Amino acid sequence: MYDELKFSNCNHSKDPLIGCALEGVASVIAGIKDVSIVIHSPQGCSSTVASAFDSHEVDFTKRKVGCTRLFESDIILGASEKLENLIREADNTFNTKVMFVVGTCAADIIGEDIKGLCDSLQSEVKSKLIPVFAGGFRGNAYDGIDIGLKELLNFIEKSEDKIANTVNIIAPQGSINPTWWADLNWLKSVLDFLGIRVQTVIPYDISLEDLIDASKASANILLSQDVGYKFCKKMEEEFNIPLILNDIPLPIGLENTARWLRELGKYFKIEKRVEKLIKQGEDSVISILRRRALMIIPRYRNCKIAISADATMGIGLVRMLFKELEMIPELILLRSSNSEMSKILDKELKELCINPKVAFGVDGYQIKEALKSVYVDSIIGSSWEKYIGEEIGIKLSFDNFSPTNRDVYVDRAYMGYDGMLNMLEIIGNDWERSYRSKEIDWAENFK
Amino acid sequence: MNKKLDNDSSVVFQGRLSELYKLAKEGKIPTSLQGSHTRPCKFWTATKILSGINNSVIITHGPSGCAYGVKKTYKLTNSRNSGSIYEPVISTNMDEKKVVYGGDKELDGAISEVYEKYHPDVIFVASSCATGIIGDNIDAIVEKKSKEIDAEIMAIHCEGFAGEYRSGFDLVFEQIVKLMDPPKEELKEELKYSVNIVGGKMGAERTEVQTDVKELIRLVTDMGAKVNSVIAGNCTLEELRKAPSVAVNCALCLDIGYAIGNTMLKEFNTPLNSTILPYGIEATKKWLMGAAKYLHMESEAEALIKKEFKEIEEEFEEAKAKLKGKTAIIEGHDAVKCLSIAHMLERDFEMDPIIYNFHPWSTDARQTSIDYLLETGMDPKILITKGTLAFGKYESMKQTEEELMNFIGDLKPETTVYFGSSLSFPKIPVVDLNAILNRPRFGFKGALKVAKCINTALQYSFRERSAMFKKIVFPEENVGLTSNSLTSKLGNDLPDCTMYGERRRGKCMMS
Repeated sequence: MYDELKFSNCNHSKDPLIGCALEGVASVIAGIKDVSIVIHSPQGCSSTVASAFDSHEVDFTKRKVGCTRLFESDIILGASEKLENLIREADNTFNTKVMFVVGTCAADIIGEDIKGLCDSLQSEVKSKLIPVFAGGFRGNAYDGIDIGLKELLNFIEKSEDKIANTVNIIAPQGSINPTWWADLNWLKSVLDFLGIRVQTVIPYDISLEDLIDASKASANILLSQDVGYKFCKKMEEEFNIPLILNDIPLPIGLENTARWLRELGKYFKIEKRVEKLIKQGEDSVISILRRRALMIIPRYRNCKIAISADATMGIGLVRMLFKELEMIPELILLRSSNSEMSKILDKELKELCINPKVAFGVDGYQIKEALKSVYVDSIIGSSWEKYIGEEIGIKLSFDNFSPTNRDVYVDRAYMGYDGMLNMLEIIGNDWERSYRSKEIDWAENFK
Repeated sequence: MNKKLDNDSSVVFQGRLSELYKLAKEGKIPTSLQGSHTRPCKFWTATKILSGINNSVIITHGPSGCAYGVKKTYKLTNSRNSGSIYEPVISTNMDEKKVVYGGDKELDGAISEVYEKYHPDVIFVASSCATGIIGDNIDAIVEKKSKEIDAEIMAIHCEGFAGEYRSGFDLVFEQIVKLMDPPKEELKEELKYSVNIVGGKMGAERTEVQTDVKELIRLVTDMGAKVNSVIAGNCTLEELRKAPSVAVNCALCLDIGYAIGNTMLKEFNTPLNSTILPYGIEATKKWLMGAAKYLHMESEAEALIKKEFKEIEEEFEEAKAKLKGKTAIIEGHDAVKCLSIAHMLERDFEMDPIIYNFHPWSTDARQTSIDYLLETGMDPKILITKGTLAFGKYESMKQTEEELMNFIGDLKPETTVYFGSSLSFPKIPVVDLNAILNRPRFGFKGALKVAKCINTALQYSFRERSAMFKKIVFPEENVGLTSNSLTSKLGNDLPDCTMYGERRRGKCMMS
């Protein structure tokens, strides 16, 4: 069992590192093509929606967002007319197939009848109107993704016919890889190589029609360990699609990738082909590291490291850092909290025979306190951890995750073989920069 | 103004600023902002100012998203751009149950916890839409807790729906005056050669990046005076307490500085020196002489002005010779900035400025700056085309660009210069004063940077604009562009900082 950290003075006050439910809902909508979104809210909520669209890198020419900009009188008197006018205006201008009409905290609390309005307007507008309540108080961004996914269930049609060797990929956006769709693309290429067809990605770059036949897939793969379990459970209950590979870490690092691919091969009975893929991938990583990074083990060996990430990235990293780079994970701080992923982590730590301190659903204060209480040489995380680390004297931080300070022009997978190299490249560069002599305060060190 | 546009169907307004102002006040021109062109809400703008006060903690009484948004945008940007330490923004994390049963207990508990965890000088309790609607009694809780903890504590009623974008700035600037001590003779004597720079916002604002503030501080210091505090940019509670005793408050941004300057004037009789943003020589002279008057340092200021001008004279005169008598088309997306640039181009360079697409919404939001310009005898020409009022952000941008091309038509590049974003592609020389290489823009050094920027832009105006970049901004079939390319021009219509708060430096609107 892991050694879970406890924090005092955290019952009523949170220093959040993830957004609210609205952002999660918007992040599901942003994965659907040819949609517009009308937000029934004060104008500030638009920025939360924009943040979700940013995280999908939705081309700005395709951002079709309107907001009713509610003010005090609207809150007192209601604002149905304002919403109706905006829906009509957006319908005429944006001309999209689907329009999500989203109520945030204010509209949600005052009880605006968004559903009723959408029903009554439907025959008069071209877009299909989909009302969603997404008050930020309904939870954090992960809860919001669950709310959004639940809405999508309505568009999946029941089918007893399953197509052999097909999968749905669920919740690829539940990841803090700054270019998370690269992991999705890696997975697609692997499946393609193995002769497994992707039925539907739920949801990234799909149309609502693509959801109809999602029930025909023979299995679901959840590409997040932070979110999507509820949706997958529903898919299992309603459409009889099993969730596979759900009890091991995602394919991060050599061992995890091999194990994950072997499990996949076992399920689809394509073990031989999988072995070929593993051999190719491992040979490529080893060859490149032999030529370009021979010093990684002397450098990183026994470096005490804190992992501060989501479960999707963080759990897989434990094995990679401990076994492949010979680092020592002393602290594991995960932004989400759910029983499925905590079981996977527990199993991993037992198998690896290590006992780091662990905390789930951490906020900024808890990350800082944890880093102060456990000695580490380095942190792998985002720019949040970089600044927190700087303040408390940890000079070495690997800025791999969102929000990162890096410009990333070419998409970088973190899963799979190239994904491991992508992560190592960042680790290598950040290490180099931290340990240049000009970064060391000699006068301070030798006084 | 160009007569050929008189009958142009794309024109919504063509005339002087004073005429537009009058029409807006009389309700004869629509002044509402399109639903696709949202600005930050009152909560965001209030917390932005609060973010500039050191060792204070903001507790946002509401769901976590409100705290997270402002923290990601302002605090992360501050850490990234100015090296400030990691700062929390706390949320009471209101969930469904608390929305139903009330969040008073949560807030009470949060205040105690925040005091224990951070020991701040000040705790600000900012209300959100959710807690504003359910009617949690924030004032009563704040009153009660103020007796239990050894820190200043203040309620800020800034629900996102409770006012326009601008109202959050004004609210906080008026309220933080309550943290100030009345002037004392002894302190006034100590600070008789000191000023406050008021109306600052911590963070990477395009008109207020630290280099601009630093340049103003340098000028004040070189004049022989001191700066007590930049309010609210990295200021402390102690500085705030002493603030009313300085010789004069100098407004950094006239609009945003007016609320605090005026409140301090009424409350403590602290004089206010307010001019348009100190872009260019005339505005900087006014800014300095306005301060010097209350510091009794007029001769020092005059000597400084003379010295500073001498250092830039050659390049400034070179730019002026190239611009004098020409028409300046100034992009009107950022209201205060475009008015300040118009002031500079007319007064310093003797150009004929036309502000292109000054959104009528700004006549209300930027009233102070407009009043100032009109009072000082400046009444620039304004041209507003339909695209400015069109629904749809990209749609509006594309339409205004086409209308700009139509407006410029066969205007000669030899006699017309465009002052605006490089994201526009008129066939006349483009001077983009936003580029980070051109900082500071304030003061004499700023005037020199502006002159250099103009000289370089004119020298290389023979070069065709990048075809690659044009395709990026205006894709032929609206494909192939990522949100990373959404820089200052469009970003200006978005809740500010949103576009660069989240991720990578490349998205920063300062470029």
